[in-house]
Amino acid sequence: MKGYRKYFSKKIIWFLITLLVAVILNFILPRLMPSDPVSAITGKMVGSTTDAKAVQQIYSRFEEEFGTNKPIVVQFFIFLKNLFRGDLGTSFSQYPRKVSDIIKSSIGWTLALQIPAIIVGWIIGNVLGAVAAYVRKGWDKVVLPVSMFISNIPAFGSAVILLYIFAVKLKVAPVAGGYAFDMIPNFSWRFVKSVIEHYQLPFWSIVLISIGGQAIGMRSMSIYELNADYVKYSRFLGIKDSKIVGYVFRNAMLPQVTGLAMSIGTSVGGALVAEIVFSYPGLGSTMYAAVTAADYPLISACTLIITIMVLVMTLLLDVIYAFIDPRVKAAQFDI
Amino acid sequence: MKQRTKKLIALLAVAAMSVSILAGCGGAAAPAATTAEPAAEAEAAPAEEAAPAEEAAPAEEAAPAEEAAPAEASGDVTDLPRNETLYFGGLQWGTVNSWNPIGANQNCWALASQTFGSRSCMFETLYMYDFLTGNLYPFLADGDYVWNDDMTELTVKIKDAAKWSDGKPVTANDVVRTFDISVEIANGTGTTYGAYIDSIEAVDDKTVVFHLATNEDGVPKNPLLALDYLVAVYVAQADWIDAVVERNGGDSVAILNDKAEDVPYSGAYGPYYDDDQKVVLVRNDNYWGQDASMFGSLAVPKYLAHAIYADNAASETAFKAGQIDVNQQFVANIQNLWLEDGLPISTFYDDEPYGVCLTMPTAWYNMNIPVLKENPALRKAIAMAVDYPSIIASAMTNQSPSFEDVPRSLMNPTEGEQALYDHDAVADLQWVGNDIEGAKALLDEAGIVDSDGDGYREWNGEKISLNACCPNGWSDWQAAMEIVAAAGEKIGVEITTLYPEWSIYQTVFTNPDQTEYQIFMYSPASAAPSSPWARANAFMNKDFVGVQNNWSGNFGQYVNEEADAILKAIPTMQDEQEIKDAYTELTKIYLTEVPSFSLMYRPAAFDAVNESVWTNFPSAADGRGITPNNCISGYAIKALYELELVE
Repeated sequence: MKGYRKYFSKKIIWFLITLLVAVILNFILPRLMPSDPVSAITGKMVGSTTDAKAVQQIYSRFEEEFGTNKPIVVQFFIFLKNLFRGDLGTSFSQYPRKVSDIIKSSIGWTLALQIPAIIVGWIIGNVLGAVAAYVRKGWDKVVLPVSMFISNIPAFGSAVILLYIFAVKLKVAPVAGGYAFDMIPNFSWRFVKSVIEHYQLPFWSIVLISIGGQAIGMRSMSIYELNADYVKYSRFLGIKDSKIVGYVFRNAMLPQVTGLAMSIGTSVGGALVAEIVFSYPGLGSTMYAAVTAADYPLISACTLIITIMVLVMTLLLDVIYAFIDPRVKAAQFDI
Repeated sequence: MKQRTKKLIALLAVAAMSVSILAGCGGAAAPAATTAEPAAEAEAAPAEEAAPAEEAAPAEEAAPAEEAAPAEASGDVTDLPRNETLYFGGLQWGTVNSWNPIGANQNCWALASQTFGSRSCMFETLYMYDFLTGNLYPFLADGDYVWNDDMTELTVKIKDAAKWSDGKPVTANDVVRTFDISVEIANGTGTTYGAYIDSIEAVDDKTVVFHLATNEDGVPKNPLLALDYLVAVYVAQADWIDAVVERNGGDSVAILNDKAEDVPYSGAYGPYYDDDQKVVLVRNDNYWGQDASMFGSLAVPKYLAHAIYADNAASETAFKAGQIDVNQQFVANIQNLWLEDGLPISTFYDDEPYGVCLTMPTAWYNMNIPVLKENPALRKAIAMAVDYPSIIASAMTNQSPSFEDVPRSLMNPTEGEQALYDHDAVADLQWVGNDIEGAKALLDEAGIVDSDGDGYREWNGEKISLNACCPNGWSDWQAAMEIVAAAGEKIGVEITTLYPEWSIYQTVFTNPDQTEYQIFMYSPASAAPSSPWARANAFMNKDFVGVQNNWSGNFGQYVNEEADAILKAIPTMQDEQEIKDAYTELTKIYLTEVPSFSLMYRPAAFDAVNESVWTNFPSAADGRGITPNNCISGYAIKALYELELVE
């Protein structure tokens, strides 16, 4: 038990150090962009005013409101103080909306789209890869090139192709949005059906591009494991093939589990391409717009959430590996 | 081990079931709105993403929706019947920030305050602007406005019938309180008009007098801007303003940021539902405008709706699919939608330029660059060499009149503005472009020649090397800048293109000391009661020189005392000939000095309609004289009362 405690304490300390560095970088990096979002808000507010001096007055007021007239160190401590209170600030690009309000309204859509898509893509990809490695012959000759082909289609391209074929040409899927353009959200079967219909294209556009990579990775790992000495030895011992396959895929699966955890960690970043092409709601396009508009508070908040998710997933992986992978366990316990 | 294998199999089985369920749903998916689908097949949206000059660029985020039940939906109506709903596109690119008519940064498509026609479906202005004729039609106002003799006072009466959605009458005090609070909290209205309108006085319940700010001689500073006020500024209810001030403790920032979900409105429509995917307004069936003194009836559509699309391409796809009826969006080669695709889509004019162009995207010369400041010949030579027909054909796909059809001046192509200067007097100074030999001769004459034989001209012994800039992704502007750079090459002036992101671009070009951008694009004011003065002012007013965060005009820091004196005199001129002479003189200066040059004409708001469901939209041929401004801006709102359903 002492070994575990030491192992977890070390991991948690590293987690906290990484988090601190990430928070600092999340704050500083967006502010290094050579643009002035306060000027943009001022521009939107003054429109075509002919009184240039009044514009300066508005600019100063926004500077005061956002605190951008204060030294960067002071701004950082204000940011930290607000962060502890759960206040992520006010968005520049969607002023005067609060950042927390923007994230709250988009994150549900993002997770509902991303996590099932990632998991389904992961499962299908791994099954295909494993089968390709085990069966070989004709199956492998099909799976490998098809996987490589699909995984190399740019996400934007595949999404547009799906939209063109299914929405524009065949008209079996809607062109845009998270639910029908002529509906108001309500708890009815019609509305749920509409949400499911609108879910299809964005969902499959993500699944399709993730299958290929997973299949290729799983196939390589499985082939490696199938040729390992322990497999040959097991066969000599006359152990049943199904039993051996169980060993093989369990070992081949380990790096894939890491990949899955990382994908889920970054999933809060949103599916930018799917969101833009299908006008599907989510955090990806929000973050993209925030970056193009130099919306520091929104960028910092989004990247902070992604960072925390990735760190938490990494920590969880470390914890799980300590239990499931004897090699990690052995290394940590200096056996 | 066995246990683990079982778990894995169970996991796989669950996943497989999920996949099959989802796949099943996918197979059964029906078109979202089959009733709206046009018979002809729609084409995929092109990648073109030109942001209209006056509208927010679609860089704005399309954030998602809350799945809660409609906060404001009433009764059991959960859908928007297609034959009762008019759908808009290209006016809303993000979630509604607020419904606050005195607030900051309103982005709701239903309440954009703008001089060429404020959206008038929810809040109302005193007058409605018709940019086709320049007329101001009474809205909340009763009859014409009246000036006193020295134009220091403007009297406006308010209609007896005008009422708020809560049943209270619209009074003179509402007009006064709106102006006072705007100045107090320094919102857009307060900062734009506060320097020119001294105060507004309620003479009685239904009469207001605008007292204009005057200079030392008692001459009003700018009566034209008071007219802009009449068509641009919404009247808000005084009682509601008092309530907002009280609940925010008088804090101006809090008042500006108030979401105003309880705001009473005087317009024909009020908020019905909004989330991150759509904004819907519902007709107020008690609207005062049914009175004979206004429209005499209710507007035809019960709902006005706007779905929020991620970008122009998505919006264009929805427009072609009949999910948008009225579209404010640049669509390249729009005529192909009806000529080739056979879609029931049309524009105000059947032929080029299809829409009414009110503004002129312009290339500004940076006078902080000595070679540009000192050499009007260089400025004019570059402008003369540019291939404008190519810009109009490629960037605007001919949705702009040519400079042969509408010779360049300070005026937009509308008849009213074109009549304001003497065309013959400036004919020798105008150019239509592609005049390479003329440009070369001008440079040679000015002593700007290539003395070292490298193909590029020098000034003061140094090669002239300039850049031409506009925001990245504004594809029509980028095409124009490429053509400007090509013109430079033809006359021996090196011009390279530079396309920073908008967030950076706007920071730099509004900085009066910048030298990074040497030839750069931005649009001056489009149309307003103060036009074309406002546009000429934006081109040459020296008051903007040196001003930090300058969004008002003269971005190139050009100084011309003579032009400045004329600009200051025009707003108080009353004699028509005197005004025409002044504009002619200003045009001469502008075309001789060339502090900037327009690259094309462009609508302030694009206006195309899909007649799958609704018809009888305004067109040039119908003779009704309704402004083509998306059926909700300024005088264009009259169209909502004359729409008909397609049989």
